Amino acid sequence: MAENVLPEKGLSLYRKVRNALLGALTAVAFVLAVTPLLAIIYVAYDRGKAALSLSFLTTLPGGFPVGIEGGIANGIVGSLILIVIASLLSVPVGVWAGLYLWDQSHTPLAKATRLLSDLLLGVPSVIWGVVGFYVFSTNTGYGFHWGFSGLAAGLTLGFIMIPIVTRVTEQALRDVPRSYIEGALALGASRFQVVRGLAIPAAITGIGTGILLGVLNVLGQTAPLIFTNYYNTGIPKNLVGSNGSVGDLAMQIFIYIHEPSKGLHVKAMAAALVLTLIVLLLDMGIRLLAWGSRKYAQRMG
Amino acid sequence: MEPESPAFPVPKIEVKNFSAFYGKTQALHNVDFTIYERKITAMIGPSGCGKSTFLRSLNRMNDFFLDFRVEGSATLDGEEIYGPAVNPVLIRQRVGMVFQKPNPFQKSIFENVAYGLRIQGVKSRSVLSDIVEKSLKAAALWDEVKDRLNGSAFSLSGGQQQRLCIARALAVEPEVILLDEPASALDPISTARIEELMQDLKDRYTIAIVTHNMQQAARVSDRTAFFLDGTLVEVNDTTKIFTNPEDPRTEDYITGRFG
Ligand SMILES: Nc1ncnc2c1ncn2[C@@H]1O[C@H](COP(=O)(O)OP(=O)(O)OP(=O)(O)O)[C@@H](O)[C@H]1O
Ligand SMILES: [Mg+2]
Repeated sequence: MAENVLPEKGLSLYRKVRNALLGALTAVAFVLAVTPLLAIIYVAYDRGKAALSLSFLTTLPGGFPVGIEGGIANGIVGSLILIVIASLLSVPVGVWAGLYLWDQSHTPLAKATRLLSDLLLGVPSVIWGVVGFYVFSTNTGYGFHWGFSGLAAGLTLGFIMIPIVTRVTEQALRDVPRSYIEGALALGASRFQVVRGLAIPAAITGIGTGILLGVLNVLGQTAPLIFTNYYNTGIPKNLVGSNGSVGDLAMQIFIYIHEPSKGLHVKAMAAALVLTLIVLLLDMGIRLLAWGSRKYAQRMG
Repeated sequence: MEPESPAFPVPKIEVKNFSAFYGKTQALHNVDFTIYERKITAMIGPSGCGKSTFLRSLNRMNDFFLDFRVEGSATLDGEEIYGPAVNPVLIRQRVGMVFQKPNPFQKSIFENVAYGLRIQGVKSRSVLSDIVEKSLKAAALWDEVKDRLNGSAFSLSGGQQQRLCIARALAVEPEVILLDEPASALDPISTARIEELMQDLKDRYTIAIVTHNMQQAARVSDRTAFFLDGTLVEVNDTTKIFTNPEDPRTEDYITGRFG
């Protein structure tokens, strides 16, 4: 950074060469970093464009093999249901845990919680799926006997989300300047008042980003769904029991690609493009929201 | 008891044999010190000598450092500040604080000043408006902001923000105001305004100020305390400290021979 401020002409040949090399490396790194995104969008569009239309988003799969006709409405609705269930579980729990870790950061319980959530972040999703299967789905399991169902899958995904939301919430609260908190405490605010009235509002975009990260994670999972939900070509009326499975975009792509049918492969890639665009839009949405609320806070408060 | 008179200042905060620790580090050693009502007491001393620690001990702001603890006695109107039944929140309402860096909330000017009342449960708009106006006037900021009370506090200059923080502290009607280097981040004109303001406030409040600026201590305070390495070397009338200190270390410090 500072180097650019210096007058160029005084630089030695060595520094000039070094600067040029660093510049070239940066350019290469940049290209390598953005290529995959462009590649994903290009490949998905190129392979899937034949299936793309508005009705692709609004119709259920049909024909034979199933999906050769119709669209991905089951997947869109199902993914939405899963996101809602997972968020209902993970947002309150994760935000509460994050608050606790921030407020009581040095207690043994907080240290244990932090360690635990870091461990959970590293558990492969297939293991979450198998455990979810034994706890929520199978009749020979430990708990709920819900069968392959939206509720079993949504809760499993919710548990995957909790440590993500927890850690991001804690970090967002840590980023609130200490002086800000002290200002309120010095006015006789209680801890609770400071948390509710100042810390959470100041950290809210960070917390929102954490929730979004969790949601994006849920959108991309297939392994847990294989064991707890599998897939549905329609839209279910129940979320538990024998007909309780929901559709899911990632599962839909996974299943279509495994079928020996060129037509389904086209549908899969069209669905992949839709899923990618949803993820990108969500990501940009939260960025816009963060930017907007910063602007708003600066102006108003 | 004698009737109160200016010649016999009334003790507001009395500190006896007071020590403070951050974990194993001792930051204050057996300090004995009285802060008198409606006087300005200045605290000077080299960096790291414990001025902030002392100040923050008086309204229990250091409670938030988990390994912080104190020994000895500190009383506010005769009541132990660290007594077992004392609610630190109530202490902080009576002993307000203004920090080195202005730290307004991410709220409007009005809401910054109203915050302390809102958390006490005051809801009436007219009560809030009255107190906000009174506090901003007392902090000599009213004329500059009266037309934009709903504007962001961040749109104010650094000096204005610091006066806003003083107004915010005044709004909860504290008895004591602690100022920790309140002008060190400000330009000379803003500093002069804060100093004037302190003179105005001294009729109604007990003020303790930490400063690195010895001219400032000499200008604004009635009494001055000199800290060194966590001990109170000397406390006396400001004129005495700056003209005829008793301890040679005080003299060395104020004449700039070390520090
Ligand atoms: N939160 C803390 N944890 C541990 N040690 C601390 C903490 N705050 C201060 N100290 C130590 O206590 C001693 C006194 O610090 P203090 O901040 O009170 O000094 P000060 O006189 O206000 O200095 P300055 O003029 O630089 O503000 C220093 O040695 C400091 O390192
Ligand atoms: Mg200090």
